Amino acid sequence: METLAALAQGFGIALTPVNLLWGFVGVTLGTFVGVLPGVGPALTVAMLLPLTAKLDPTGALIMFAGIYYGAMYGGSTATILLNTPGESASIATALEGNQMAKRGRAGPALATSAIGSFVAGSIATVLLTLLAPIVVEIALKFGPAEYFALMIFAFVTVAAVLGASTVRGLTALFVGLLLGLVGIDEQSGQMRYSFGIPELLDGIDVVVLAVGLFAVGETLYVAAYSSRQRDEMEKMSGSTWMSRQDWRRSWPAWLRATAIGFPFGTIPAGGTEIPTFLSYAAEKKLSRHPEEFGQGAIEGVAGPEAANNAASTGVLVPLLTLGIPTSATAAILLAAFQSYGIQPGPLLFVTQKDLVWALIASLYVGNVLLLVLNLPLIGIWVKVLAIPKPLLYGGILVFATLGAYSLHQSVVDLATLYVFGLLGFVMRRWGFPVAPAVIGLILGPLAESQLRRALSISQGDVSVFFTQPIAAAMLVLAAGMLAVPWLLRRQGRRPAN
Amino acid sequence: MTRRSRGALAELALSVAVLALGIGVAIAAAGLPGSRSYAAIGAGFMPGVVGVGLMLLGIWLLAEYFTGGWRAAEPDDPAERGEHAFHRRAFAWVSGGLFAQMALIHTAGFAVAAAVLFACIARGFGSARPVRDGAIGLVLGLAVFFFFVRFLNVNLPAGWLKPVLGAAGT
Repeated sequence: METLAALAQGFGIALTPVNLLWGFVGVTLGTFVGVLPGVGPALTVAMLLPLTAKLDPTGALIMFAGIYYGAMYGGSTATILLNTPGESASIATALEGNQMAKRGRAGPALATSAIGSFVAGSIATVLLTLLAPIVVEIALKFGPAEYFALMIFAFVTVAAVLGASTVRGLTALFVGLLLGLVGIDEQSGQMRYSFGIPELLDGIDVVVLAVGLFAVGETLYVAAYSSRQRDEMEKMSGSTWMSRQDWRRSWPAWLRATAIGFPFGTIPAGGTEIPTFLSYAAEKKLSRHPEEFGQGAIEGVAGPEAANNAASTGVLVPLLTLGIPTSATAAILLAAFQSYGIQPGPLLFVTQKDLVWALIASLYVGNVLLLVLNLPLIGIWVKVLAIPKPLLYGGILVFATLGAYSLHQSVVDLATLYVFGLLGFVMRRWGFPVAPAVIGLILGPLAESQLRRALSISQGDVSVFFTQPIAAAMLVLAAGMLAVPWLLRRQGRRPAN
Repeated sequence: MTRRSRGALAELALSVAVLALGIGVAIAAAGLPGSRSYAAIGAGFMPGVVGVGLMLLGIWLLAEYFTGGWRAAEPDDPAERGEHAFHRRAFAWVSGGLFAQMALIHTAGFAVAAAVLFACIARGFGSARPVRDGAIGLVLGLAVFFFFVRFLNVNLPAGWLKPVLGAAGT
């Protein structure tokens, strides 16, 4: 009941004309930028961050909720029509979506993705509404030791479990942690790794790292390795609308995908990639038309797209209630919160109740806006997709450098941006995942301060992490997560008889 | 030792780089006040952990390199990745555009620097119409300039265009 009252009040704030306008602007901009090929949700949010500089926090966060959802929807449009997944969570969609587009069924593919995103996003938001207060209740009892253990768990899952290689994931994480150390140590005032450059004393901004890795790194990579290739865009032909059979095949997929996606997003095992593949596999197995998979089965678009949206909403649970980001996009959202002096976590639900619930209410609104905006506007997004590569990447870099430069009006930030661009190029070329670096940068300093608080409370006794049950369980789980894939691989290497 | 292609050399170089970075970070960490204030750990603790961690990861990468190469590595042959060979000129134009922007932004101003950046990137991606690209970049730069300066109150340098742009910028 208390939750409902709070949510009702949240709607009261989110539905004021001004905030509704920001939500609308956010969804539109998010979709517009997200549609651009090669621009994933994380980069979209990072590039649009400077635009909210002068908004009040509530308006800005509502706009960000819109950008977040819009960027994801835009990304799936690009994936279906161009077969260039902007992020790993779209790979599963690309498998069937592009095949459908090739067979003149781009319309139904885009429709099932839009409606599925709406259905999954709305159900997931209801689940978020119900779950968040419970998590907050538990989290309010957490001390620094529990938080530290939880962050270690998040580090391990994000870096070591997702992705092709444990060692490269961990290396990316540690590079992020190292970058997080740069600047003045908040507790002792000690300068660390700033090489006497005054601009580095404040630390490295997450926006500069994210834009450097995602925008500059990606542009360098595409220029070097695929700028001389032609992407073939599928034409939008035939009906945009789904047939009765499409509906019948889509809705069970949406619901199953929501059930798979939301829990995956919620646990700090983060990422939206695994649930999309799980959903794809489930649909393939359960389908009455398994022979269509690989040739444009609509369930193969409906499921992964819904799973992606449900997981992305689930990611907001640990972000809002614990302050722990488990995806690169969530890390940038956390940076956006911090730029307003807001630290997400259980206390936020107590001290800034209005703001949190207005944000959650705006998630419902964002989902509706997305649906009413996108189905009619598909034609426009298709035109955006047709922007030739030279102009597209020119524009991306103008906005990317703008975002970095406008932070301090400093050329040093532009130089840092280029260095991160080179880093992003190397990471992409040799298969290091980028998300752990972004998460390490923002979560590292938080983990360090929790560690120090835990140890100063226990007067330097390290055993707090092992005698307190929740902290100990988290650390054991984290160790298990590291060991299990390794053991499985050893098992797999044994000759099967 | 038969698979010593250029790609394998890159794996070796990157493994050594991670190890060296770890050593550097750890040495610098040793110079930071470790702690020893009675209860808590000091500014040097996390840098130490990160340095040692990077060293271990560097050793791990080296171990993979010496036992048959990195696991689940990106294929070395661009064709296997669905891409073309490294295009040096494209890479150089993109980098050059970014350097030109750094050099120009405080003298020529945001909009001009954006136009040069835009034209260089477009050239890097194979466009053969530098004048058109520069013009589009300038329009884009001016639009962003006005939006930021007028609506967001974020200062961007007007530079050479200051006489034209008037009081809008700094």
